[in-house]
Amino acid sequence: MESSRREIEVMANLLGSNDVQAEVNRAHFRKNNCLAINVIGSPGAGKTTLLEKTLPHFTLDLRVGVIEGDIFTSKDADRIAVHKIPVIQINTGGGCHLDSKMVSKVLPEFDWSSMDLMIIENVGNLVCPADFDLGEAFKVIVLSIVEGDDKPSKYPVIFRNAKAVVLNKMDFELLTDVNMETMRHDIRTINPGIEIFEVSCRNGNGLQAWTSWLRHEVEAYKEDKG
Amino acid sequence: MHEMSLMGGVFEVLEQTLSQHDIKRVLQVKLKVGELTNAEPEALAMAFEAYSKDTLCEGAELIVERVPVRGCCRKCQHVFTVKTMFFLCPKCQNTSIEVIQGEELLLESLEVE
Repeated sequence: MESSRREIEVMANLLGSNDVQAEVNRAHFRKNNCLAINVIGSPGAGKTTLLEKTLPHFTLDLRVGVIEGDIFTSKDADRIAVHKIPVIQINTGGGCHLDSKMVSKVLPEFDWSSMDLMIIENVGNLVCPADFDLGEAFKVIVLSIVEGDDKPSKYPVIFRNAKAVVLNKMDFELLTDVNMETMRHDIRTINPGIEIFEVSCRNGNGLQAWTSWLRHEVEAYKEDKG
Repeated sequence: MHEMSLMGGVFEVLEQTLSQHDIKRVLQVKLKVGELTNAEPEALAMAFEAYSKDTLCEGAELIVERVPVRGCCRKCQHVFTVKTMFFLCPKCQNTSIEVIQGEELLLESLEVE
């Protein structure tokens, strides 16, 4: 019965339902005039430490919230909560990335009346989170230089899609074979417009430039009400 | 292994499509996956096998077509294939490149009976 064999054209986006929810989340952030950013990096790159070191500066005059994504435990949320910052932990229970539905579920837990900045720290992973829009305004990568200067060219998708990269653990530069010229060159070749911040969360070097930039982004987002 | 989540998306669309047609079984599923995504064909095949068990898709062939990255230079409008993720116009050396192909994650078509 060869004749019963037929083709059906579908042409549907596999991320369709994620993308639809991401747009709903994006509209929620816009309505509340709150800049949402998606922070992505390998396990141990220093994502939570970067937040711990810089968020206290923001909370002097801005309202900040944090969504922590991890496979298991609330260790990261506990670290943020110490700084009296509203934080919700999402446990993916094995999932390697956050998706827009997981984020949407926890949004009602925050007080949105005066939120200025929502930081979503994704599950530690340079691969999977790149494909899932959460509704953020932009993505920020945290890469520790000890991971190696080959990482941007090995994980180009995320570097292409991010607005800024924070290169952490600069205090280790002389203790490793990392070539910072290669690192910067490869990042810029993949994404010429990306902002690069070289910092050490341990000794505080370079953090000022990052916080000034992020503060400027919050203001720019609020002014651009479009 | 976010290919499991992506395959969840495939089956969401599949179920919807299959409910609209009179189908005995699915013989072939065709996906289009851009090189500027992190979806890996072998992991997709594994996820497909897991998801298709006890459905109309069990035993169907999964075809994953990789779509190369194509860029368009924002300065001279030259269209070219972006190799090894180096976003540089080969004609005018400009680095501001718009991606016009290579970001797709699509369920293209099905073959059914």
